[in-house]
Amino acid sequence: MNKTLLAGLIVTGMMVVIALFGPLFAPYSLDDQIKIEYIVGEDGEGTVIAPPVAPGADYPLGTDKNGYDLLTKLLYGAKYTIFLAIGIAVARVIIGGLIGLMLGYYGKQGTDKKGNSFWGMLNGIPIFLIVWLIMIGISINPNASPFMMSLLLAIVLLVIGIPSVASTVKEKTAVIREKQFVQASESLGAGGWKIIRSHLLPHLKESFLILMVQEVILILTLFGQLAIFHIFVGGTTMYPDPTEYYSRTNEWGGLIGQNRMNFYVNQWIFYVPLAAYVVLILGFHLVAKGLEKRYGKMFSKFSHL
Amino acid sequence: MMPRSAQMALIIPGILLFVFLFAMMPVVLHFGPGDGGLQFSWGQGFQSLKAYIAGLGSGESFTYYSGKNLHHFWERIGIYFLTSFYYVTAAGILGSAIGIFIGIYFAISKAGWAKSVADFIGALPDFVIVLLLQFMIVLIAKETGVVLFEVATLSADDPAVVLPLLAMIIIPANYMLRNVSMQMKLTLTEDYISNAKAKGMGKLYIIFYHALPNVLPYVKGDLHKLMGIVMGNLFIVEYLFNNKGVSILIFAHAFVGGEYQYDIVVNGLLSFLILYGLGYGLVRLFLFALGKVFQR
Repeated sequence: MNKTLLAGLIVTGMMVVIALFGPLFAPYSLDDQIKIEYIVGEDGEGTVIAPPVAPGADYPLGTDKNGYDLLTKLLYGAKYTIFLAIGIAVARVIIGGLIGLMLGYYGKQGTDKKGNSFWGMLNGIPIFLIVWLIMIGISINPNASPFMMSLLLAIVLLVIGIPSVASTVKEKTAVIREKQFVQASESLGAGGWKIIRSHLLPHLKESFLILMVQEVILILTLFGQLAIFHIFVGGTTMYPDPTEYYSRTNEWGGLIGQNRMNFYVNQWIFYVPLAAYVVLILGFHLVAKGLEKRYGKMFSKFSHL
Repeated sequence: MMPRSAQMALIIPGILLFVFLFAMMPVVLHFGPGDGGLQFSWGQGFQSLKAYIAGLGSGESFTYYSGKNLHHFWERIGIYFLTSFYYVTAAGILGSAIGIFIGIYFAISKAGWAKSVADFIGALPDFVIVLLLQFMIVLIAKETGVVLFEVATLSADDPAVVLPLLAMIIIPANYMLRNVSMQMKLTLTEDYISNAKAKGMGKLYIIFYHALPNVLPYVKGDLHKLMGIVMGNLFIVEYLFNNKGVSILIFAHAFVGGEYQYDIVVNGLLSFLILYGLGYGLVRLFLFALGKVFQR
């Protein structure tokens, strides 16, 4: 195991532990709120405590502007961010992978030219804009529970992500399909399903693994991008006058989105969730890099220059 | 094989249909009144489409409300479109130029730490890069009192320019440089490279006149993906810096007074696709010129 992979696994492993047991370590409950207080010390000097409280002994990562502890919020929200992203990625790779294998094996070669330019043009409309259009009508102050809303978003992200996974897998499958051992197996009378299972799948399992980790990163990115436009995982609570948006689940992308205007004053409210999110993404990135390194060595050639 | 014109004849209605359908989603998908469950009102969605098509002749489909004022799309789109076009072109051409040359450098040198930095930036989502850039300027301003660049456009006279441009260029350049460096490395393992070397040709000559012409086709093949990144990036950058481009046109006017404006979203999305096409064409032209320069 190389160092990159090890570092990545340690970071993501820790994040998964946080997602699983986070609420147990939380110093406060989600409803604990610090109110404006006037405390008179022993020397008779009065001090006013008002939210937001900067990071310190009582609140390790500080509180947000309404006086809720940020660390607690992060610990409670982690499970939505991490498990949802992993869940969607696994589902995307399984379903998209199967479709890609089928298309790559049974599909005709070299007939996908005209489809390409169509999907090429559609690159002009970013994915998160499509998700935004689908979710904006239902995501603000929704009737459904946060869990149902997360599930709904998961389904949308799953369906939207399948084509790209399928086409990646299809390309890889089409290459292996032309190899001699596949042709040998075919001439010995193996059926399509048998070849997919015992020749194509074993050759692609490393690619599937890397693809899955990369999909996790893409989904986390989408969570964040949507949050910038006030679509939070699990639904958005909107308060009018002044219009404010809050994440119902404390999902990390949502925490970034609702606090992103705080880079002028009380900056910890801005950078604490952002830092947590960046560490998470970097963890997965290191895993993907590490896996690529590990498997890449098997086939690499050397430069002549 | 279908002729090109027939292909186009199929693609354009396909794209229009795609835009029409997705633009109606905010009307179609909603929760029922009271505690009602999720509802699909396709009827209402197609009603908006019908109204849009009916209003094409009278020009009604090209009006929209901004607050309480009625605006005409054609009067307003010019300035929005130009702003976006300026960013897309800069990001596409400068991004690929910087990406290609640094990519070549990365392929033939060690530059270990620089590669790690590029890799690190590549791992970060676009909006994180924008937020970090803004945060950095604010931190510098706090420490030194010097405001290097505008962090966001607050008034029309004082637009943020440098920072959005920087954010627009960094991301595609980074994508391009990793791609080019990878393809370059693969190309340098080919036998014709060692053949050229055996003939006694110089290193730079081999790189630019033997290897680069064989890398450019891959770059061209990946151009849709690059432009996709640029367009997604444009959305984030315009929104976070509040620059008046096509994305702001869509976002600021999609919902006015709680009412969804189907017409402006469709018109905005179509402008976006035209922007994409123009940007794509310009970068293709740039790559074509680059290919001519390094042709033997």
